[in-house]
Amino acid sequence: MARRAVLLLLGIAGGLLLAGSARAYTNAGPISEEIQNLFWAITLFAVVVAAVVFGILAVFLVRYRESVSPRPTSWVEGDRNLEILWTVIPTIILIVIVIISVPVLVYTDTIPPPDTTVRVVGTQFIWTFYYEDGTTSSPDLWIQAGTVVKLEVTATDVVHSFAVPDLGIKIDAFPGHMNHWWMQGDVPGDYLIQCAELCGLEHAKMLASVEVLSEDEFDAWLTRRRAEQTAGTSDLGQETWEGVCSKCHGLSGEGGIGPALAGSVVIADPEAVEDLVRNGRRTMPAVGAGWTSEQVTALTNYLRENPPGGG
Amino acid sequence: MAARAETRTPAWQRGKVVSWLVTTDHKRIGILYISSALVFFVLAGLMALVFRLQLSQANADVLSPERYNELITIHGTAMVFLVAVPFLTGFANYLVPLMIGARDVAFPRLNALSYWLFFLGGAILMLSFFASGGAAQNGWTAYPPLSVQQPGNGQDLWILSLHILTASSLAGAINFLVTIHNLRTRGMTWTRIPLFVWSIELFSWLLIAVLPVLAAGLTLLLLDRGISIGPWEIQTHFFDAAEGGAPVLYQHAFWFFGHPEVYIIVLPAFGIISEVLPVFSRKPVFGYKAIAASTVAIGFFSMLVWAHHLFTVGLPISLQAFFMIASMVIAVPTGMKIFNWLATLWRGNLHFDTPMLYALGFLSIFVMGGLSGIYLAAFPIDWQVHDTYFVVAHFHYTLFGGVMFAIFAGLFYWWPKMFGRLLDERLGKWQFWLLFVGFNLAFFPQHLLGLEGMPRRIYTYADESWEGYNMGSTVGSYVMGIAILVFVWNVWRTTRSGPRVGNDPWQADTLEWYTTSPPPPHNFDDVPYVTSARPLYDLRRRLREASGFRGSL
Repeated sequence: MARRAVLLLLGIAGGLLLAGSARAYTNAGPISEEIQNLFWAITLFAVVVAAVVFGILAVFLVRYRESVSPRPTSWVEGDRNLEILWTVIPTIILIVIVIISVPVLVYTDTIPPPDTTVRVVGTQFIWTFYYEDGTTSSPDLWIQAGTVVKLEVTATDVVHSFAVPDLGIKIDAFPGHMNHWWMQGDVPGDYLIQCAELCGLEHAKMLASVEVLSEDEFDAWLTRRRAEQTAGTSDLGQETWEGVCSKCHGLSGEGGIGPALAGSVVIADPEAVEDLVRNGRRTMPAVGAGWTSEQVTALTNYLRENPPGGG
Repeated sequence: MAARAETRTPAWQRGKVVSWLVTTDHKRIGILYISSALVFFVLAGLMALVFRLQLSQANADVLSPERYNELITIHGTAMVFLVAVPFLTGFANYLVPLMIGARDVAFPRLNALSYWLFFLGGAILMLSFFASGGAAQNGWTAYPPLSVQQPGNGQDLWILSLHILTASSLAGAINFLVTIHNLRTRGMTWTRIPLFVWSIELFSWLLIAVLPVLAAGLTLLLLDRGISIGPWEIQTHFFDAAEGGAPVLYQHAFWFFGHPEVYIIVLPAFGIISEVLPVFSRKPVFGYKAIAASTVAIGFFSMLVWAHHLFTVGLPISLQAFFMIASMVIAVPTGMKIFNWLATLWRGNLHFDTPMLYALGFLSIFVMGGLSGIYLAAFPIDWQVHDTYFVVAHFHYTLFGGVMFAIFAGLFYWWPKMFGRLLDERLGKWQFWLLFVGFNLAFFPQHLLGLEGMPRRIYTYADESWEGYNMGSTVGSYVMGIAILVFVWNVWRTTRSGPRVGNDPWQADTLEWYTTSPPPPHNFDDVPYVTSARPLYDLRRRLREASGFRGSL
């Protein structure tokens, strides 16, 4: 019995080590790098503490089991020095952890001089991004590698949380309140954005990605995007349909959580569509309350030219 | 005595069923609490088994998002309010008067009211699945504006249920405090009451301190959802940003209650462990005063840490630092307890009976839960893992691995006290190993999922690299389900054929074992004068000295 218990306890300790050696998460920016360093530092303490506690436990279970220790050989009811010892040592460990955590806190919580600012707006079940020059993108975000992007995070309906695990970002988006945060991606690539606060039925599908581009690529993207949006020839309408509307109404308007739109006359009426997306109706949230008029027009144009379900 | 009690009890109250319905006996109420909690435990556990199926694979299609959100919401709410708290309230009901040498709690009828309010609140929560629009779907935290916007009555019934449970717990807490302060027997000073009683003292104070804040938050939530009284319609905007309200206000109210609630649950679990470990080590508990003092310290600090649940809402940096340090501080008294328990095992005579196995299981799992808590308290890491499966893993290590293992230790330990029969040891050990292995299989992988970024409360995921851990977790949860079946079978079998084992099968030291098992309605015919924290040990020693018997008793 005792042997089995010890084996299992050792198994747990081994599991902890395994956790320590597991890939935590990709880190593609300075914030996640800082957090990851802190993670490993604390893991070091955690493994030592776990080894000590489980080691003591295992030794005691073997040495003092009934069959080898037929009667208690100590009747001590307490020991002041020991109590002081195991109060002071954990306190010191925790002070060390606080000391190494605070700089990471200050670093992360202090926004460096930003190269650009992006407004991040959460709406069931989509993120929309507004860039400094008036460009809009949704559901994905594009940023330039190596730049400090200041984030102004808010929501239009319920509480969301803007999370990019690979970049160490998680900041809540509250309606009626602006949270300021920052992000920086150093390694070009695309990284998952996932809403981290339960925000309704399709919370799980509030996914997007942040595309970290090199300077040239980013400039090219932004210039093209700006020009297209001004000219009304961008893909913004299609992106909005696929990123926003189709989450509830289906990609070809076949319906889902929301009613089927295929064949609906309302979608051919730009004013009715604008009223719906800006104000919502019954269970439909006001997804477009914060959209620019460019985005609304892009959507209505797209719907007129490409009625869902072929029309 | 029996004859007198019979003449006082009206005939209609003497029936087998009716006598339970009208009882004001703390022991019967304790058993009612524990058995109801067991039923709710099975129900809420079954919910978990259903949604674990949905999560076992990427893009699974077992549950719609509505059903999934209902199940996680009611699973969480029920496990906290209808399982953990009432299990421990049941133990407190049964044990506190016996442990301090009293005949009953101070207010027996208020005690019965507490139980029936709890029963009503639990029934409302479970039946809310049949409400228009289904049960509440917004998580056990019910953050507005989402919870204000859910159509139908599920969220309203959730609020109603919690209001009733709050009233029940408040009445219970007051009752325990008055009992502990006024009804201790002669010689039962504050340094001689069992450590479990100390934990119930703090449990009660914490409930009284924080439940009103929850009740206030819930009332505002209800008003925001809108109520109508006769011709008046009331619709407030406390949490509605468009009208000048603040959604984050609710989060503060909820967690000002919610975090102490964790300790409200875990302190009595600690209390159970402090009773079980010394008995099965055949030694006095190591550091009685230190353990009692750490209980008080944990109770105090638990009210200063709530905002570590709000690290991502955009708090000022000074507040973040304060709550980080307070959250770390609480690890010190918790560590103290763990080291004192280890020292209790030191040079003991360890008996691995089922209660001891559960206590040791508690110890090893709780250490893990405590360590993952340190990561979460260091909030730069919390920014990474907040609202991911890392958090889910952490609180299941503390609340299931910690609290439920302690509850099973208590059930196997005090079962012969309550019913005069032992639960089957062989089945008990099978159950323990199934539960221990199943638990670690179910929840350890969730740490890794959280580190990889899997958020909690999502009904589906597309990332197939998460499938392996999730499948492991689902398999583990079913192994736990089998373990619970073994327990139910054990209870079923031993109520018929369990061995009768006398008044004190474990050679325990506390006063509840002084009386018969099960005890008579009035608990004790006489209570010995208490001269230490271990009155029964003293009694055995005096008997031994008087009889000149040299062997072990």
